[in-house]
Amino acid sequence: MQRISVTLVMALAVFGAACTNLERSRDLANPAIPPAVTAVQVCSNCHGVDGNSVSPNFPRLAGQQEAYIVAQLENFRSHNRSDPAGYEYMWGIARHLTDDQIKGLGEYYSKQIPKPIGQVDAKQLALGKQIFEQGVPDKETAPCMACHGPDAAGLATFPRLAWQHQDYLLKQLHVFQDTEGRPGTPMKQITHLLTHQEMESVAGYLQAFPMSVGK
Amino acid sequence: MFATSLAIRRRILGTGALVAGIFGFIATLLPIDSIALPLFARQTGQNCVSCHAGGQFPELTPYGRKFKLTGYTMGERATVPLALMGVVSSTRIDNTSTGVASTDFPSNGKLEFTTMSVLCCGKITDNLGVFAQWTYDVYDHQNDQNRWVALPHIDQFDMRYADRFIDANRDLIFGVSLNNNPTVSDVWNTHNNAFTPVPTYVPAANSVATYAGAVPMDVAAPYLEGEGQMAGGLTAYAFLNNSIYAEIGFYRNVRGALSFMNASHYDAIGYPSKMQGSNPYWRLAYNKDWGANSAMIGLHGMNADVYSDPTNTGSSIVKFRDVGIDGQYQYILDPHVVTAMFSYTHEKQSYPTDQLGILADNASNKLDYLRLKGTYVYQAKYGAALAYTSAKGSNDPTLWGSVSGVTDSRLWAPEVFWMPVQYVRVGLQYYKWTQFNGAKTNYDGNGRNASDNNSLFFYVWGAY
Repeated sequence: MQRISVTLVMALAVFGAACTNLERSRDLANPAIPPAVTAVQVCSNCHGVDGNSVSPNFPRLAGQQEAYIVAQLENFRSHNRSDPAGYEYMWGIARHLTDDQIKGLGEYYSKQIPKPIGQVDAKQLALGKQIFEQGVPDKETAPCMACHGPDAAGLATFPRLAWQHQDYLLKQLHVFQDTEGRPGTPMKQITHLLTHQEMESVAGYLQAFPMSVGK
Repeated sequence: MFATSLAIRRRILGTGALVAGIFGFIATLLPIDSIALPLFARQTGQNCVSCHAGGQFPELTPYGRKFKLTGYTMGERATVPLALMGVVSSTRIDNTSTGVASTDFPSNGKLEFTTMSVLCCGKITDNLGVFAQWTYDVYDHQNDQNRWVALPHIDQFDMRYADRFIDANRDLIFGVSLNNNPTVSDVWNTHNNAFTPVPTYVPAANSVATYAGAVPMDVAAPYLEGEGQMAGGLTAYAFLNNSIYAEIGFYRNVRGALSFMNASHYDAIGYPSKMQGSNPYWRLAYNKDWGANSAMIGLHGMNADVYSDPTNTGSSIVKFRDVGIDGQYQYILDPHVVTAMFSYTHEKQSYPTDQLGILADNASNKLDYLRLKGTYVYQAKYGAALAYTSAKGSNDPTLWGSVSGVTDSRLWAPEVFWMPVQYVRVGLQYYKWTQFNGAKTNYDGNGRNASDNNSLFFYVWGAY
């Protein structure tokens, strides 16, 4: 047993030191690692292989706009985005990704097929639908669909919102409203006067977005 | 005596030099970089909450489990793979009066530096990583003059090779782990330190008994849980589709090049036990993640054949057969983190006839060991925990050394803690013994009660 252990450990050490495993590496500082490898070996731990994350702590990326993913990864890398979910998890992940790797990751997840999550409270649905389609005129809040599209699929750097986790959306709306953690978007102004209940409702409506529209 | 001490000292120095050499060799493989945070945070660039539930150690999140299972290889190699960890603490026991002043814990109620660890951890290659810890305990044990002795010694060691085959239809993580502690390779933390409601590697429940001087050195625990840093083990594991986990391996005493895995500590105080041959350890678990929830139910076991005389490999064999069930539930949704876990192990002990009346009275004994723990952490800063431990064994006065003839200990341990920053933790625990070594009152025959061992434990833990 002992000889076997020593031999095995030494063999593994020599083998491991001699080889970089490009096809299944979890190295985040090697520009030679293909983005699709990083996506499944690293990103999938939180976001899922197909971008449909299980935990609401982590946003769903399946079908997300490529330009939006690229912009966010660049913001994480430059520390321009500093909300807690961003710096706690993503600053480290993105710190040494190359532009090509970032573009490849955006491409990978934009091509994944989004899946519906589940229903939310009916009252939230009604209010959320109203905000999504009509905004809140007396608070000068524009309807979400004006930028994110009637099917909430997003456009370029406007992210897809359909079938996103309600909790994630709600936290991000509070980031926009309460902090300067995500600068450079109109969302600070849009969320300025919204109540927690209104934000929770529209986030719920987007999580349970009508399947006939949200594909 | 002097020659023996010299030999021990030389052995310690030699072992220390070997470990330092290994650490140094690993360090030379790695480029130089700045050091800011503990090692894995440096390697991944992520906050501790990514891998540790609510930022508390050692409980892992689903993400942290993947990090460990894939061999600590995610991220980028730290340049200097070294970190320090230390604890300043104060333990106040309700009653230190044992009738023998020299055996009382000399620092009862005093705030003192109690332990420090050097860690060498992280990614070595794309498939190879290591977690290695060297610890200096100020109050390690008492020598033959009843003086407390400090000793540096190996702590947890886990070097693993891992690979992962993953696509849209399959996710298979597999690997091998060379480690020095059955269950240290596990990723659900339902054993060993996880149930100690304090940061790892500080004086804890079992040590309280030690501090009380004349009370037994330890509360009975299954062999599976008591072999830390004594054995060398090689285990192979696989985790399929984030649901089925299986691990099997063998543990034995280590010599030669692998002797660093149990270095120093047990050389100094003598082997409490020594195993014969290779002894199997196994573990099965089913895991399910849904929403913000993660749950696991599992089985574990170990068969250990141990020499009745650790200094004589020709001596008869004591057999330990452990089998148990454990489980964990986690809810992680910022700012709330809840962890609940349990572990129950049944142990059957078989003693050879030549040891009856020496090690044990009965040819066969049993021990049932139950641990429960619940933790809540808010904003990864404020936390509270409640742990319960119960050890109950068959009637055998010689084996347990108790007046009542049984071993029956029950401990409640509530705790509150605060983490002002992610690498500092301040905590206050209370250990309440409702039963100690077989009795609630007069468990030692000299009037000492279980509640005399109740203690308040304050600590400041830090890592850099």
